[in-house]
Amino acid sequence: MDVDKVTALISAAGIELTDRRRNGTDDGWSLSFSNGAVVEVRDNGEISHSGKGAEAVARLLGQP
Amino acid sequence: MRTKSVVVLCASSVFIGAFGPVLAAENGPGPKVYSGKGAADDLARIDTVVVIYAENRSFDNLYGSFPGANGVAKASASTRLQRDRDGKPFRELPPVWENLTAKGVTPPVTQAETEHLPNHPFYLDDPKGFKLSYGTITHDLWHRFYQNQMQINGGRNDKFVAHADSGALVMSLWDGSKTAMWKVAQKYVLADNFFMGGFGGSFFNHQWLVCACAPTYPNADTNPAKPSIAVVEPDGVTLKEAANSPKSAMEGIPKYVSDGNLTPDFYAVNTMQPPYQPSGNDPAKDGDKAYADPAKPTTLPPQLEPTIGDMLSLKRITWAWYGGAWQDTLDHGYKSPVPNFQFHHQPLNYYASFAPGTAARAEHLRDGGLAGTEFIKAIDDGKLPQVSFYKPQGDLNEHSGYADILSGDSHIADVVAHLEKSPQWPHMLVVVTYDENGGLWDHVAPPKGDRWGPGSRIPAIVVSPFARHGYVDHTPMDTTSILRFITRRFELPTLHGITVRDTAIAAHGQKPLGDLTSALVLKDK
Repeated sequence: MDVDKVTALISAAGIELTDRRRNGTDDGWSLSFSNGAVVEVRDNGEISHSGKGAEAVARLLGQP
Repeated sequence: MRTKSVVVLCASSVFIGAFGPVLAAENGPGPKVYSGKGAADDLARIDTVVVIYAENRSFDNLYGSFPGANGVAKASASTRLQRDRDGKPFRELPPVWENLTAKGVTPPVTQAETEHLPNHPFYLDDPKGFKLSYGTITHDLWHRFYQNQMQINGGRNDKFVAHADSGALVMSLWDGSKTAMWKVAQKYVLADNFFMGGFGGSFFNHQWLVCACAPTYPNADTNPAKPSIAVVEPDGVTLKEAANSPKSAMEGIPKYVSDGNLTPDFYAVNTMQPPYQPSGNDPAKDGDKAYADPAKPTTLPPQLEPTIGDMLSLKRITWAWYGGAWQDTLDHGYKSPVPNFQFHHQPLNYYASFAPGTAARAEHLRDGGLAGTEFIKAIDDGKLPQVSFYKPQGDLNEHSGYADILSGDSHIADVVAHLEKSPQWPHMLVVVTYDENGGLWDHVAPPKGDRWGPGSRIPAIVVSPFARHGYVDHTPMDTTSILRFITRRFELPTLHGITVRDTAIAAHGQKPLGDLTSALVLKDK
């Protein structure tokens, strides 16, 4: 899943994208959302999430 | 009264700096609307004001078929017709990208089922169409500062689809006639010429409700927020498209060089997080647990502009902002899908005047309770302050993507029913409105105002024993009309943004924006 697809799936649920930038190691994107979730989408396709709304975005992305 | 206000302001050194803009506005050019003492005497019949602030519906989306209103049937053919980004009319609407219904809705309405819709508005509850109910959660839509202006397209309202992330969905409507609030609107006053105070989304419009101002992020170009600065064409309204952006809305969602939260001159116009908890951003490691980490790029610095709350406090008028699920979120953290507290829907939590530990915070930022229970208790007990703002929790606010219409509409109608039975009802004015259009099309051109708005048309219902019962009010108004009423009723100093808006509206030769009194009958009552 690429960064645009991740953004579209989460935004469709009314969770607004509030920040999008290359991550600190420049191997992917760091996305922030209005519910406090931070989603890392690496260029190799790996996705991780953290922050207050992490569980909600994990559900939307079909992740544990 | 004006002189008295200035004396009070000058008596407090704390206030002098904070209220500088107000003093400037009082003494500066522009309309002086609120000087009539007689008017205030009439308005004194109202001693309790309640503002209920729902989410994300355009007027046409929910009330476009209301009898006597300027609804969808009155939309010109040119406004109903949507145009692509190159200005050419669509042959058909693009599909709703990533499905029309929200994830988890069964049965879903898939993207494929939304292909080939004709180029005009359509009803989601059409029994010959999608047959959705008010209880269905649908896909969210972009509702952002620059996109809203690009969609309005100088008042033509013909680029809503072109600058959306949800394809045809922006043209969707509901026959709202079966909702509980429709009946409330029939009984009291529906304002059909009422616009959102600012362009774009919830964050910005909540700021307009309390401050009539655009928040600022000083020196944003020298701190972590720098990548959030939008890249805009010289017209100051159009986002610069990225080289890889699809040329047509039929091919996909537009892409921009930087669709950020901040204007190039550092005003915050899209969602930023509050500097205080509850905030989407956690506290800094080893930082004050009542604060959000200020180093996070989405944490807005504390704001210093005076708000309507400051003005009310200045005149010793009692008031409160009741946030649904406020205390639950402070105590137990963010939970979804219920109550799904929205951090950026609590506008006063961005202001230094209401920082953690202040007496003002303890007095004025109150818990509305889960499902509004604390707010309803205050209503039933007759203990509402003179001015109350009520923000329903997320699942009850009618926002696309995570809330349905039925839950929020029923909840708000229930709150109104409690208000009608409250001991304070005989002298009450209630305004039920929406923060913004949620990206949904509306056919009426907003009045030409200032740089910040007004944006698209939204529903507003005025409920009061003094309301013109069964009336559709065509007076031009916007979110700041609520502040105009409060300002006039309680003889407050005028917020600077209202003065600026009045001046801009007049400069464009538009009718002055109303203050809700056109919906009321105050004499001989």
